[in-house]
Amino acid sequence: MKKLDKRLFRMIKNTKGQYIAVLSIIITGIFIFTAVKNSALNLRDTLNDYYESTNFADIFVTAGALPERLERQLSSEENIKEVDLRLSFDTKLITDNDDERVTVRVISVDKNEDKINKLYLKKGRRVLSEREAIVIDQFAVARKIDVGDEIKLNINGREHKLKVSAIASSPEYVYMMESEQVLLPDPNSFGVVFIEEEYLRKISGSGYFNEAVLTVKNHEQINKTKDFLEDNLKKHGVLRVLDRDEQLSNSMLNEEINGLDKVSGSIPIVFLLFAGIMLATMLSRIVKKDRTSIGVLKAVGFLDGEIIAHYLKYAASVGIIGGALGSIIGTAASGAMTSMYLEFFNIPILTVKVYYNRIIIAVFLSLLFCIGSGFWGIRSILKINPAESMMPESPKQGKRIFLEKFKLFWNRLSFSWRMVYRNIFREKKKFIIIAAAVSITTGMMIMTMWMNDIMDVMFIKHYSEFMKIEYNISFEGFQDKRILNEIKENISYNNMEGRIEFPFEIENGRYSKTVNIIGLEDKTAFYDFYDIEGNKLRVQKEGILISSNLAEALNANIGDRILLKSFLPDGEEKYVTVTGILKQSLGINGYMNINYLSKEFLDKGVINGVYINSDDDVKVKLDNIKNISSIQSQIDMQNVFEEFTGLIVVFMGVMVIFSGMLGFVILYSMTLMSINERTLEFSSMRVMGLTKKEIFKIIMKENMVMSVLGIIAGIPLGKWLIDYMGIMFSTDIYTMQGKVTLMEIITAIILTVIFIISAQLMTYAKIHKLDFMQALKNRIS
Amino acid sequence: MESNGGIMSKIVLKVENLSKYYQMGEVTVKALENVSFGVEKGEFIVILGPSGSGKSTLLNIIGGMDAPTGGSVFFNDEMITGFTDKELTMYRRYKIGFVFQFYNLLSTLTAKENVELVAEITDSSADIDEVMEAVGLGDRADHFPSQMSGGEQQRVAIARAVAKNPDILLCDEPTGALDFETGISILKVLKDVNIKYKNTVVVITHNTPIAQMADKVIKMRSGGITEIIENKNPIEPERIVW
Repeated sequence: MKKLDKRLFRMIKNTKGQYIAVLSIIITGIFIFTAVKNSALNLRDTLNDYYESTNFADIFVTAGALPERLERQLSSEENIKEVDLRLSFDTKLITDNDDERVTVRVISVDKNEDKINKLYLKKGRRVLSEREAIVIDQFAVARKIDVGDEIKLNINGREHKLKVSAIASSPEYVYMMESEQVLLPDPNSFGVVFIEEEYLRKISGSGYFNEAVLTVKNHEQINKTKDFLEDNLKKHGVLRVLDRDEQLSNSMLNEEINGLDKVSGSIPIVFLLFAGIMLATMLSRIVKKDRTSIGVLKAVGFLDGEIIAHYLKYAASVGIIGGALGSIIGTAASGAMTSMYLEFFNIPILTVKVYYNRIIIAVFLSLLFCIGSGFWGIRSILKINPAESMMPESPKQGKRIFLEKFKLFWNRLSFSWRMVYRNIFREKKKFIIIAAAVSITTGMMIMTMWMNDIMDVMFIKHYSEFMKIEYNISFEGFQDKRILNEIKENISYNNMEGRIEFPFEIENGRYSKTVNIIGLEDKTAFYDFYDIEGNKLRVQKEGILISSNLAEALNANIGDRILLKSFLPDGEEKYVTVTGILKQSLGINGYMNINYLSKEFLDKGVINGVYINSDDDVKVKLDNIKNISSIQSQIDMQNVFEEFTGLIVVFMGVMVIFSGMLGFVILYSMTLMSINERTLEFSSMRVMGLTKKEIFKIIMKENMVMSVLGIIAGIPLGKWLIDYMGIMFSTDIYTMQGKVTLMEIITAIILTVIFIISAQLMTYAKIHKLDFMQALKNRIS
Repeated sequence: MESNGGIMSKIVLKVENLSKYYQMGEVTVKALENVSFGVEKGEFIVILGPSGSGKSTLLNIIGGMDAPTGGSVFFNDEMITGFTDKELTMYRRYKIGFVFQFYNLLSTLTAKENVELVAEITDSSADIDEVMEAVGLGDRADHFPSQMSGGEQQRVAIARAVAKNPDILLCDEPTGALDFETGISILKVLKDVNIKYKNTVVVITHNTPIAQMADKVIKMRSGGITEIIENKNPIEPERIVW
């Protein structure tokens, strides 16, 4: 081994504390990057494979009545590859427990394998006969249904017993949500059951189909094909034409994958940035200390490049080891993350893939990054003159610091405090790095605390402050308002209002979005609308209120006239004025006066659902009423949310550890550097009679001042991070809006302080071990 | 590279009208002023002068570590004062060996490793073990500098300078940090090396008695040469007393 390389190893050994510190930050950065990026890649790749193997549809059509001949007709259209018509409706699973209401989506399938949206069998056989059903995997697991079991469904008002012939997954229900209005999947109360087409048509009494799934030849022309379908199927009562991106399960998955991409592109950068700053600082201090040795190397004939390469190897070793370890641990962690996703997403072929090229890329990037920041730290080597380096450096000019101008303050300080302030002002770079690290830690802690609370706040706000609906009942299609009388007869209630909830395509210039518009009573008791500034809003007699995320998607402002296109047969297209933009944490909607909505776009006096606030057990009491397709209760939603919070706790724990680690490691290593450089100063103090504890106190006071400033700066930083997260992570499903609370800030500060104190205690051990007397003997330490 | 005409075949180093000025605020400090002399191959030269006389500055310029304000230095007819940075580094690497007052060893390398370090960058290094023996450190080769006395460290520094077979050994106050006896032993090592490896040795010192062992003594004061003495009868280092 070359002698300079031997020197390098001994240099690493002598600075192992700082080396490990910076290495751990690089590892963390690369770890987060690899774990999250791999999970995203793995999900995306596997999802694409799954979609391909099951021939997942490109277009989904919902309509009133589609005749069988349409399948042949559409197949001959230009860009359409395959068409499958099917029957699909929601009904009730009959269980032994009268108190529960379980909704089942029944979908017709071929006797043998389908052309489009093929089922992925987990158990049993695919061939379906009469009185048989295939049950979706998540639902079967949640309700403990197995092959050979019997399930009872209410179809067309009659109870039908079906034998479960298979358990399968469907590409359409990877994320199994009943509708956009439900935030989270609840496989215990909503499931999907597949029944043979002919048999289902027979027992449901339907002569027509109501859905079509299609694949296309050319994906670039998909919008044209959608427009064609919308126009041509109007006479068949087309309700919605969605492409894959808009399909509920797929769009939820994409949101999740995009979220992962955003995380992998942001948080690791913070870690790498700090690792880079630390590495540059560490190496610049090592070079400063090695000034004479570097001069000697130059004097004996080493080239600048050779000396630079020697020190860069230090940085490169951090990069290679950090990159390799980080990406290997990250790959392993992505396995755990992927398994966690399996709890929510049913992708049967999901396996953990090792992306070797990603590991190589991560190592290369980390190496490049470390060499870059390393070079920044050691660039002063170029300026070292061998002749001058042999002479002792002239001592730094001791001049008065800025604070000394404030005589009243300065004169009151004790000797040790004056020393503390002088040291801080003379080592501004170190001061800035420590303060910045503490502020980032505080900021990230605040963001974590806020995120923990915001999910709660979003949910509580939405379901108790924004919406005050205990039961949201949906009907099968539109009904006359008189249906409310029947409901009123069956239950006692505090409030009850009919409602319309119906999809519209909304256009504003070149922007368009398909969302559900909700028609509400004039002075509805079920919603409280507020704008972003907190002013109360009301549904006007005419016009539309839109949620802030819809306003953004449409680039619409108050007073704009937006075009509403109904999906009903011969549906109207009309311009409506935006009367307000409201704050809504979950979902994306428009709200209109129910009379205005039905008068302009539908038939007068119709509703397709009802909101009820009641102390009665509504689910049981309304069990026998015809035309009810589903009853959603606020309590069900809350229970599902409780399960979801378990995940948030894990996420929060990980974030707290990572942010704390950043502050801890930087404070620890910067203090170590400082102790190493000031050994001579501390030794002189020891000779003068100061105890180790007193010296430790001086260091602690310096760090304390820096940390306090860092924490103060961390508060606005945390608020900025929250705003950033709000923008980055807001989707159609949820909008993160909410102010940070004092309690969240206090908790974040306490956690930051715990990490800071731990780092301080670690440095005390180092001071205790220092041989001060030896240091005094050597001119060059 | 300029040639000096090849008149002086034995001259290995020639200094012509060398000047070095430093600007200290408004004052110009003349560290060297019109210095000229020549060094023959294999000579043992002592440059003698009090501190501040410009001898270290002169050594640094001869060694290619510093640039003069005026004048030239020729090494084997090549004008090194016109060299680029890289050429100067190569000059130091292949032609010059340095011995410093405070040894300046790399603290994380052992005695032998310090010597091997420079041997690795030259084409025709001497036998390391032999050099270590020659400086009397055969049994201390695996010790780190912090485990050695000042005299031992200076021997390592000499071994390091000699190991790459330089043409000229430049020693800056090599005994300055040592006691009398150790100082004498170091001078003896330098003389032995001068004889054994036929290097040209230039020692700068403020210690007048050391001049007695030189073939040529160059006396300096206030940045200029006051006298050049050819010593026909140099004495053995052991006979020097101060």
